[in-house]
This record gives sequence, C-alpha cells and structure tokens, in this order.
Amino acid sequence: MRVLSTVKFTVLRMARNYIVLLLLLVIPIILITIFSFILSESVTETGVPYHYQNALTMVLVFQLFAGAIVMYLIDHDLFKENRMRIYTLPFNQRMYAFSIMICGAGYSILLGVLLMIYTQFVLGIIWANWAWMIYIISLMAILSIIVCLIFTFSVKKYKIAERLSELYGVGFVVLAGLFFPMPENIFFDFFGTYGNPLTLSIMSINEMGQSNTGKAWFQANILLVAIVLLFIVMLNLGRRRKL
Amino acid sequence: MTIFRFALKRVFGNTTNLIFLTIFPIACIFLPKGEGWPFLPYGYQYFGILILFIGIRLATIILEDRGKGVVKRLAVAPVSHFQYLSQNLLAYSVILILQCAIVVYGGILFGQELYQPSRLFLLFVSFCFASLAIALAWISFYRRKDTSFLLYMSLIFLIVVLGGLIIPIEIFPDLLKRIAVIFPTYWLAEGLNWIVFGENILDFLLINSVLWLYTIVCIIIGSTRKIY
Repeated sequence: MRVLSTVKFTVLRMARNYIVLLLLLVIPIILITIFSFILSESVTETGVPYHYQNALTMVLVFQLFAGAIVMYLIDHDLFKENRMRIYTLPFNQRMYAFSIMICGAGYSILLGVLLMIYTQFVLGIIWANWAWMIYIISLMAILSIIVCLIFTFSVKKYKIAERLSELYGVGFVVLAGLFFPMPENIFFDFFGTYGNPLTLSIMSINEMGQSNTGKAWFQANILLVAIVLLFIVMLNLGRRRKL
Repeated sequence: MTIFRFALKRVFGNTTNLIFLTIFPIACIFLPKGEGWPFLPYGYQYFGILILFIGIRLATIILEDRGKGVVKRLAVAPVSHFQYLSQNLLAYSVILILQCAIVVYGGILFGQELYQPSRLFLLFVSFCFASLAIALAWISFYRRKDTSFLLYMSLIFLIVVLGGLIIPIEIFPDLLKRIAVIFPTYWLAEGLNWIVFGENILDFLLINSVLWLYTIVCIIIGSTRKIY
C-alpha cells in the first residue's frame, strides 16, 4: 500500500487547480444565486418552488464535468510528462490510477455537498433527503470520471479527448431538454429519459422526495449498472493503451 | 493582404475550429420553434451564444501569436501593427459574416419564419463585431490561452443569462432588469424582439449603434501592441 503515501499530494494538486475550482464551484454558486433571484416567485405544477428544481438540476449538471481533473492528472502522470518518473517508482501503477480516480470522485462529491450546503443555508432551499442526494451525486461523479477516462484511453490526442468530455457534458444537458425541447421520436425520448444520466438522477431524487422508494432505487440502479459496465470497458481500454 | 490570406488559412486548418465554424451554425438552422417564448426559433435565439464562442476562439489565435513570439518577429519585419491587427480582424469578421449569412438565408430556404430576414442579418453582423471586439479586449489581459478561454466561457454563461437570451427579461426582478442593460446580450435580445414586433426603425438603429459602441470601445482597449 505504498500508493497511500501519494494520496496527500494528489489531493493537494486537485485542490490547487483553481480553474477547476472556479468552474465547478464558483460558477455554479453564481448561477444558482442568479437563477434563484429570477425564479424566486414561480412554482411548478406540483407545487414545488421552481428554484428548488433549478438548484437540483444545477448541482447535478456540474457533476457531469467532474471527470476533467482526473483525466488531466492521469494523462499527465501516466502518459505524458511524468510517465517515466511514475513508472520508476516502486508501487503498483494500476493502484495509483485508482487512487487518483477515488480522490477525484471524493473531490467532486465534496464540491457537490458544498453547493448543497450553500443552497440550503444561503438560499433557503430545503433538501429533503441528504443521504440519497449524496448517493446520487457520487454515482454521477463516478460515472462521468469513468466516461472521461474511456475518452482518454480510446483517443490518441488528449485535446480531442478533452473536447469529447465537454461534448458528453453539454450533450446530455441538451438531450435532457434543458435548453430547448427535443423533437419527439424514439431516439430523443430514450435519451431524454432513461438513456440520460442527468434526467435519471433528477427523476430518482424527485421520486425519493415523493417517497416512491422502489422507483427511486430502480433509477439509481440503472446508473449503477452503467457504471459497472463502463468500468469493465475502461479497464480493458486502459490496459491496452499504448503511447 | 498576405496576412489576411494566411489568417483565413490558419482558421480553417484547425479541426476544432472547422467544427465550430461549420457544423454548429448549420445545426442552428434546424432547431425547433419555441412555444410562446422565444419568438424566433431557438436556433436564432441561441446563435448569439455561438457568436460569442466563435469570437473568443478566433481571437485566441492572436493570443497564440503573442505567446509564440510571432508578434515579436512582426515588430522587426516591415509590417506595421495596424496592418497585422486589421487584416487578422478582417479575416475573422469575413468568417463571422459568412456564418450569419448561412444561418439567416439558410433558414429562409429551410422555411423558418424570420419576419425581417435582412434586418436580422444586419443585427447579427453588428453583434458579431461586438463579440469579436470584446474577445479582443479580453485576451489583452491574459498570457495563457487556456485560462483566458475558460474564464471567458464562464463569463459567457453569466452574461447570456443576465442579458435575457436564455430566460425572458420580463420575469427578472427590477434590479436585475436594470443591470441587464450593461450587457451586449441584452441588446441582442432586444434586437431579436424588435425583429418580431418592432415598427419604429429608430429603435433598431439605436440597438445597432449600442452594439457598435461596444465594438469601438473594446477595439480601442484590445488594440494595444503587447510584446512579451
């Protein structure tokens, strides 16, 4: 378990990357605040204040971009600048990669929780079920990290992998119909509901809020299955990845 | 016009730029029409956001030049800074204007209802220049292109929301409604509303001249020569 001694530095490197902090913490805080000012009076059909739904969406949307920092560290350490150094160190490189992934997941879950604390105490949004919310946030973070790593391993140029990961984030936001309504056919219906991690998690949290436990677990388990399947794909791709 | 020609070549040599410059605008044409709001089809409401992104991507090329020392070499070459800047900007604006033409007139061919297409085209052109100038002013504060791009991206999110392009300005609280006037996106949104409902041509001229004011001020800020 020599890898454990590197964890401290991984965490430091993540925390010091202020651009990630800006994009995943400061921007969402500003956006949620502005939106809650704008939407403070309107109420949805079910009687929930509109800015609750909005804050929920925002917290989850920014989890779609959680993989960027992990992608950067893995590429930097195992494929690019630090490759030679890391491979001469007397520890298991695979464990090192896992430790980066776990740190990244923890980091983005922490950012998500910070957002929730901010919205609860400053904007007065009451999160009904904290544990379930954090569980869903962690699923989203892990999923997006795995997807980003799949991009890193399967594409040769890192720049393109970066663009693809942005496309993953923005694409699912668009497919969820948050910018404009999607046309109605089987493809868009699927990717607007059960094929979309964002809508899956929003639906799951809403179901849990209405105490439909069975449905909520079902939707969360779809995410879990996706994570397991993609994890296997990621392992295979990562093992075969050459320079 | 050598710099102009090479600026065009450089822009189209980059794959990501090519996608930004061709596929996204064409996709704008096919977006559906909203119910109630926005009054124009979604693609035209959101084309402004795309113009802002394209503006920064094009202006980043100038920042790249500064980083690689091209500007330093140009300073000793018999090319004035004015020529360098004006020809680069000319190339970028030609590209942006072409895109506006594709989006507006492609929309007519596709059968979108655009009310006053030629005035819509004029509005987009004014906004293109404003966006390019703002991006130029923005990059003059930075040395690294990644930082400038990411920060500008977050800025775009904010001004797009606060300017009323994504959410109609009518539902804003009073304070935000007044603050919105600062942002260029507010004037674009006003212009788009004018295209649908406007009658008085003076209002349209006012909107365009505000956008041109942004252009002039920002070009003055961004046009200083910086040699590192």
